[in-house]
This record gives sequence, C-alpha cells and structure tokens, in this order.
Amino acid sequence: MANDPIRAEIEQEVAANPILIYGKGTKEMPRCGFTLETIEFFNRFGYPFEVVDVLENMEKREALAEMTQWPTLPKVFIGGTFYGDTDILGPMDEKGELGAILEAACGPRASRSVFLR
Amino acid sequence: MPDAEVRVTDLTGTMDHYDVRVRSQAFDGKTLLDQHRMVYSALEAARQDGRIHALQLTTEVPHG
Repeated sequence: MANDPIRAEIEQEVAANPILIYGKGTKEMPRCGFTLETIEFFNRFGYPFEVVDVLENMEKREALAEMTQWPTLPKVFIGGTFYGDTDILGPMDEKGELGAILEAACGPRASRSVFLR
Repeated sequence: MPDAEVRVTDLTGTMDHYDVRVRSQAFDGKTLLDQHRMVYSALEAARQDGRIHALQLTTEVPHG
C-alpha cells in the first residue's frame, strides 16, 4: 500500500514517545488554539511529551485519521494508546482516571502532587 | 441520533468555532471516544465544507 511508510513512521513515533501529540504547529509555536490548549493541558502534569506538527502533511493526517477513526487534530497517544483530544482527557482527568494512565506510561515523577478530597 | 439534546454555543462570534454539548441515550454503554466519533460522523459534511472549523465537544448519557 502506498501509505505504508507513513503508517510505519507513525507507529514508530507512537512507540517512541510515552505521551505524543499530533497537532498543528510545534510545542514552541502552536498554530491552532486546540493544539495550544493540549500543550497547556500536559504542561500541568509535569511529564515530558512530544508534539509532532502535521499541519502541512496531508498524507500523514489522512493516515492518522484512518488509523484512529478520529477526524480532527490534535490527536493524543499515551503509552501507545489513542485517547482522542482534551475533550476526552479533560473529563477523564476530572474523574481521576488520567493520573494512573500517565504514570503507567511515563513512570513515577520525582515530585508528585497529592490531591485530597 | 433522534433523541439527542444538543446545545451549541458560538465561541468566537464567527459562526465556525463551536462548543457543542450532546446528550443522548444512544451513547449508553459506549466509550467517550466512540461517543465523540458518533458526533463527528454526524457532522462530517459540515466539517468537510468548512461550515464547522473547530469544535469543542461534550457528550453525555441522560440520567433517569
């Protein structure tokens, strides 16, 4: 298939980065409000994450949309699993589900915040 | 999704960035990812032709 090398590249990136965001623009210069929002979302957790800019790579965007069955950017992968965007991750975080997923993917952080309820 | 209750807010005043809240029994038993996929596929035409540029989406199952 013509897009096999692209899929292989995506699979490699997903495997190499515990937290990976496909978005529009870079971490330093996001070029879309939702990509910026996603970067700010992950900044709060203190785990390292990677942003791959696919704004102008239509072939890769199409391959990603097919692989995830998800039409929009940004797209977030954690520990090799697709989690959608902050519309999904926000509610997961509110329910207290995200911390364990991030820790499983990235390992424990040096300093952890403790939330009391 | 015939039973869906939908609330739409125009975020920017430009009629293409929306906050959309959808409540439907059709979401019952589905993951959040699949719930959102259902809404995106319902809106596919409007996204393709540019009527919707960006979407902030919340889905929920009605309670009792």
